[in-house]
Amino acid sequence: MTASCLKAAALGVVALAAALTVGPTAAAPKVGAPAPDFSVLDTKGETWSLGQLAGKQVILEWTNHDCPFVRKHYESGNMQALQKEAGDAGYIWLSVISSAPGKQGHVTPAEADALTESRDATPTAVLLDTSGAMGRAYDAKTTPHMYVIDASGTLVYMGGIDDRPTTKQADVEGASNFVRLVMADLAAGNPVANPVTRPYGCSVKY
Amino acid sequence: MTGAMVSTPRKSPHTDGMIAIHERLPRRFNPRRQRGMAIGTISPLLLFACLAWLSPTSANPVTTEHVTARLVAERTEMAPGETVDLALVLEIEPGWHTYWRNPGDSGDSPRVSWSLPEGVEVGPLRWTRPELIPVGPLANYGYSGRAVHLFALSLPEDWPIGEPVRIRADADWLVCEAHCIPESGTFGLTVATALGPGPIDPAQAEVFASARGDLADGTIEGAVLRTEAAGLSLDIPADLLPAGLDEAWFFAGSWGLIEHAAAQSWRLVDGDLRIQLTAGPAAAQVDPEGLLVVSDRQGGVRSYEVAAVRGPPLLEGDAQRSISLPLALVFALLGGLILNLMPCVFPILAMKALSLVKGLAGEGPGAARARVLHGVAYTAGVLVFFAALAGLLLALRSGGAAVGWGFQLQYPPFVVLMAYVFLVIGLSLSGAITVGRRLMSLGGTRSGGGTLGAFGTGALAALVAAPCTAPFMGAALGYAVTLTWPPALAIMLTLGFGLALPFLLLSLVPQLARWLPKPGPWMETLKQVLAFPMFAAAAWLVWVLSVQTGPRGVASVLAGSVLVAFALWLRERAQHLRPGQRRLALAMLLATLGGAAYLGVATVRLSAPAQSLGAETGRQLPSEPYSPERLAAARAELRPVFVNMTAAWCITCLVNERVALDTAGVKGLFSAADVLYLKGDWTNRDPAITRYLAEYERNGVPLYVFYPVNGEPKVLPQILTEDIVQGAVRQGPMASSRSH
Repeated sequence: MTASCLKAAALGVVALAAALTVGPTAAAPKVGAPAPDFSVLDTKGETWSLGQLAGKQVILEWTNHDCPFVRKHYESGNMQALQKEAGDAGYIWLSVISSAPGKQGHVTPAEADALTESRDATPTAVLLDTSGAMGRAYDAKTTPHMYVIDASGTLVYMGGIDDRPTTKQADVEGASNFVRLVMADLAAGNPVANPVTRPYGCSVKY
Repeated sequence: MTGAMVSTPRKSPHTDGMIAIHERLPRRFNPRRQRGMAIGTISPLLLFACLAWLSPTSANPVTTEHVTARLVAERTEMAPGETVDLALVLEIEPGWHTYWRNPGDSGDSPRVSWSLPEGVEVGPLRWTRPELIPVGPLANYGYSGRAVHLFALSLPEDWPIGEPVRIRADADWLVCEAHCIPESGTFGLTVATALGPGPIDPAQAEVFASARGDLADGTIEGAVLRTEAAGLSLDIPADLLPAGLDEAWFFAGSWGLIEHAAAQSWRLVDGDLRIQLTAGPAAAQVDPEGLLVVSDRQGGVRSYEVAAVRGPPLLEGDAQRSISLPLALVFALLGGLILNLMPCVFPILAMKALSLVKGLAGEGPGAARARVLHGVAYTAGVLVFFAALAGLLLALRSGGAAVGWGFQLQYPPFVVLMAYVFLVIGLSLSGAITVGRRLMSLGGTRSGGGTLGAFGTGALAALVAAPCTAPFMGAALGYAVTLTWPPALAIMLTLGFGLALPFLLLSLVPQLARWLPKPGPWMETLKQVLAFPMFAAAAWLVWVLSVQTGPRGVASVLAGSVLVAFALWLRERAQHLRPGQRRLALAMLLATLGGAAYLGVATVRLSAPAQSLGAETGRQLPSEPYSPERLAAARAELRPVFVNMTAAWCITCLVNERVALDTAGVKGLFSAADVLYLKGDWTNRDPAITRYLAEYERNGVPLYVFYPVNGEPKVLPQILTEDIVQGAVRQGPMASSRSH
């Protein structure tokens, strides 16, 4: 009897204490959760959204052609090789430019297409996220910053392109390319071994 | 052109806090290194090497587009076997910045690789404190204006005096404004050698002095990082920090721990600086270390290396831990008041109250004074006992003993003693004996009762409250004893004061006593009824002892109880005997009590029977005994685990098990989700369990922790319901299935 009275009293105290603690957190993209949706125009004026890509595996690449870290991967041909492999494996590859007008990396649709052509790159599309809304939804921090979304729309990878955070082209060789490893894991039906890594590069010029 | 002697390709370490790569140059062109080469190739190669050192590519200073960099030594001369500090100084163009060991959301730390003569060594880069550089919605950790990176250059003992030390450093750094430029420089530096260290180079003195002022002022141990619903909470012991903190900022040592750009709020909690951080994408994986930078109101800035350990989240049940001291004191007072309702304490309080009604409620200054004295003496008795208990516990703890609150009940002789005490009080209340009157003034039928008697009653109330406080107040008191002495004692004494308060009020304010019912024959009935909670408490303690020591302990305590009863009877009879016979009877009485005491103390040698708690009837949830190895093994094979730390003397534990764990619903859920139920029995002292409790900052039971397949362990409240248990277990597997 007394024990249950006490229990009630103690529960009250606990509830009071619990009421004093607070707080929700802002939503950030989470590996294992549905990838954030987006709706962004590409260089051809077409709108891309995640909803349209249901059933497809998607790779997102944040980019800024003037960033030395991005140049390392394009001038060495590393990014183009990766794009080709991904395309052959059936991935949709979206290069995303979140640079605000007037900031480094901001380009017109024509300039973006010219860059793609001159670099011999093969993304499925180049998205011009001028407002930065998509970048913020994905919490994209650097160029490059890579994301992989599986066929069910679940974010399975976010992070760096590889494990050598430098601007030296010589470091491409011998680096562990995380995106390539993720594609291998998905192809083999395995869970992604390293789902979150440090993205490295220049800051996204929001 | 980087010099012919450096033929190895530059390694690019991919660790975040990268530092220095050492390459070896032969000291004085050691000819053995060239053995096997054609003779003719040697001299051109040597010549080339010499030129490489003197060539303009190894300039010092190096001027790039945005940085003027130089490599300098603090002293112009150094002696063999000694160390001199080097500084790589980057003078950065205004508006631009370079990076710390964790560059933050983007960017890259500078890297230096050294080309050194054989035997010469350069230590790791010593980082000065960075600044927070916001970049739009992101943030970097870095330097603006001037970045100074310190290194220690050490010379071997056998270095020939007079032979200058020639070193070369290849440095790469990224310098950013809105956009980033990778820059690099190759620095040559020659330091003369002499018998003793040379004077400090006045041209460099200021650079070195100011850089040293920006190094960490020390390392703070004992910080705890917790993952909570609202983010991360970092508790850093504040004793090393300057008084009058004005600002504090935590710089994470590596990427992924926190969101670098997110706001940080801080406050001082119980001697800790608590900083609220926003979890980064790899908060659960990366090393929880970094640099704390604080400034005081005078503008002095200091920094400390902080290596935190991960702690359990502060959840519902232990939210009380985050309360401030004044609030803790309020709760302690309330807790003390609640203690008065305990089955073991209430009869005593009731009797005391009745004694007031009967004898002390008289009018006149004399009666009032007696009442006040009575109340104060009772309060003093309670407080002295609590202070003694708290002192003993704190002394044991500071002596390093692994004890927690309730520890006294882990000592079988104490349990036996308490069983005797409850038996005697019960017999006294039921009217079988009159022992209480003079010794403890329990009956309280006489108006005086004596201040000494009141003091004794207070101590007795506290003594009998002890077994009750263990199960109900365990967490609060466990928290209290983890504090430093003054607040811990304050909490304990406040609890004691709460226990004494109702009677104290009754004796100080006679008007309150008038609210008590009029005395009458009902008082005798009530007194006798109140004997039964006492007998129940005695019976419960015998059961506790049976768990602790098995049947032999039960035999001892029952035999001892018979002796105690006999001694009480002797005492009653002795009052009616002639003096000679009375002495004999008293001797026998003492011998009998001695026998009872011996039986009690002897229980200390009896060990617990194997498999004590649990594993009894089919009603209970199937469990395995807790061991750290079993827990680790189950976690390794990705099995969810529910840990229950319990003890036979802990009523809360037993009630929780009955209502929230040993139920059909939980049983079904545990078997469906393949939850391993580990039960730790702390009825007797068990260092493994005490350590486990300490990991969760507890020193008392109950403690319930659920380990989902992946994710942080979740501490459940101390008052369990079936819903809480089911909720915790259901959330676990769902969280894991979401992430694949």
